[in-house]
Amino acid sequence: MADLQSRLNEFKRALESGAPPYNRPRAAIETMHRATAELKASGLERLARKVGDRAPEFSLFNQDHVRVNSAELLRQGPLIVTFFRGHW
Amino acid sequence: MMELEALQQIDSEVRGLGAQIVALTPELERYTRNVHKKLNLTFDVLTDLHLRTAEQFRLAFVLPDYLRDLYKSFGITLDRFHDEAEYRLPMPARYVIDGEGVVRAAEVNADYTIRPEPSEIVKVLKALKA
Repeated sequence: MADLQSRLNEFKRALESGAPPYNRPRAAIETMHRATAELKASGLERLARKVGDRAPEFSLFNQDHVRVNSAELLRQGPLIVTFFRGHW
Repeated sequence: MMELEALQQIDSEVRGLGAQIVALTPELERYTRNVHKKLNLTFDVLTDLHLRTAEQFRLAFVLPDYLRDLYKSFGITLDRFHDEAEYRLPMPARYVIDGEGVVRAAEVNADYTIRPEPSEIVKVLKALKA
């Protein structure tokens, strides 16, 4: 499998071409670009937790409705936490 | 989704280094269940209900009205996916947290089309062990 950024670039190219399977209208693509640019310009990224910060704890349900507690996981070793938007 | 597939590829190596991956999304469990099954994930996908954890990591943002309307027109009904009226998302982000609970690597990007390679995680974990 190609590396992640190459695959993302290919996806972006296909989406923004306006062609099938996505058939995204040009106006929609411009709207998405505007939103990303505004979010960038807001400076929100710089406020996010960063290296050296204490990580917030969490206790959340997994896909099988089992509660998962970050403190318990950390007792076993380092933890990689990734935030993603969703299935869509 | 692509990011989850990429993380799946390094999951066994991560476990070999004594670490674990978890993926957080604001989506309800009926969606995380499907994603987990569809991608054959061996790590957990957690429902960050009402973005409470994303808020604590300071990643949550409200979509502007024009973007909310566009998403709705695509059938991306975040109010249903997240069980909240407001359309909010976390900025895509990836953290490596050490056993003491301290952030040792952080990758946050407001542009969801730019993500670091998962191999970077492996490097950080190896450095933590060294």
